[in-house]
Amino acid sequence: MNKVAIVGTGQTKFSKDNHDVEKLLFESASSCIQSVNNSDSNNIEGVLVSTNNNSKYLGAILSETMGIRPKISHSIENLCSSGTNAIISAYAYISSGLSDLVLVSGVESSTNPGQVLEWDKSRGSLEHPIYWGSMLTKSHKRKFNTTEEELAIVSAKNHKQAMDNPLAYSNEPRTISEVMNSKQITDDLRILDCSRSCSGSSSVLLASEEKAKTYSDQPIWITGIGQKTTSASFTKNILDEIESTRIAANSAYKMAKIESKNIDVVEVHDAFSVCELMALSELGITSNEKSGEFVRNLFNTENRMVNPRGGLIGAGHPLGATGISQTIEIINQLQGKSDKRQISNPETGLIHNMSAAGTSSSIMVLKN
Amino acid sequence: MTFFEEQLEKGVFQICHCENCNNTIWPPKEICHICYDKTSWKESRNRGKILEFSKKESTYFGLIEIDEGIRVLGDISTKSTPKIGQSVRMNVSFNSKPNYSFIVENN
Repeated sequence: MNKVAIVGTGQTKFSKDNHDVEKLLFESASSCIQSVNNSDSNNIEGVLVSTNNNSKYLGAILSETMGIRPKISHSIENLCSSGTNAIISAYAYISSGLSDLVLVSGVESSTNPGQVLEWDKSRGSLEHPIYWGSMLTKSHKRKFNTTEEELAIVSAKNHKQAMDNPLAYSNEPRTISEVMNSKQITDDLRILDCSRSCSGSSSVLLASEEKAKTYSDQPIWITGIGQKTTSASFTKNILDEIESTRIAANSAYKMAKIESKNIDVVEVHDAFSVCELMALSELGITSNEKSGEFVRNLFNTENRMVNPRGGLIGAGHPLGATGISQTIEIINQLQGKSDKRQISNPETGLIHNMSAAGTSSSIMVLKN
Repeated sequence: MTFFEEQLEKGVFQICHCENCNNTIWPPKEICHICYDKTSWKESRNRGKILEFSKKESTYFGLIEIDEGIRVLGDISTKSTPKIGQSVRMNVSFNSKPNYSFIVENN
């Protein structure tokens, strides 16, 4: 397989305003094209759009809006992990030799239809994600003695880190006590334990090894990929595991020839506070039993290795754009361009993006 | 509406079963995904056990595994705090979407 690099990035601010998706796409894609050394968009051979929006043929619409006539153009939807799925599809187009340069743009409006999964009959009338979020949280507390304070630290840490992310939905500091006293959604979830659906767009430009240096002085290489879908129904999950993440992570580590101890910085899919603890365990960075203590230690030492941009809880969750923004954060970190969020000299970063209550996971390993 | 949904509307939870490979098929479908034989239906005994629970406002809800091996989410009616493994009886209905509710037995 040919090597593939990410050579350009662009993002909009995440917000609760309901912008139209075509406008948001143009904003992030334009910013992405302008970020590269050679911004002649005539060379772009693929345009992929990741979204849960019901608008039709957004790949072609974005292409025309950008003045691109690509060989390959289509949308990609896989709920909350649409963004990384689109990047991995672009990787496949390039590594196979079908294309040399692919633009990937993710977008969502705040009123996206991705929250309610009608097909999953096992959810009955309890369709909203808060119900499965509550089941995972209660189970984690029961099995691993996780405390409400440890869960609140995830949110407090991610809100604090989001304060240094000018594109985040939230720039408000939240103390542990504020999280623990925020509005109670269920006995096991507070409002500040939940990521929030919002609008936003993010774009990356991927290039073959041959073309990468033309576009960037600091290309970031995709060295590991793992994906797994275990089901579409939430209730086929084992409550104290995210099996799809564990399997996808092992595939990605094998491809990248690394182990979890080699990861310097990681973006994990904290749809709810408990998901960060579970993901860190499935990635092999800590164990479920020690995950609360692990995150407490990060918080107390101001170590930003996990979710430096603020995670989904702090930065917001525009479904189709989320995985791409997670990827951009790791790129910026590996390029040393994360300003106040920068961790010290990272060489290897990982993105964990999942969908449908963890029934699907996508993992990417990036290196500078 | 599907047969499964029509039956829910009548208060019956139909279990989709493949006689040929002796498997319960969930979510229900007309053709078995293992042997591709036509599936058949039998009524659930409407009994299950609580795997996990939480509470929203004054109503408990949880993940229940019914005796036929299918897991669903639904509200739980009980006079005291539910317990893991506690036996429940299932009631079902359909109003644009399925609704499953559970009553703790021997409450």
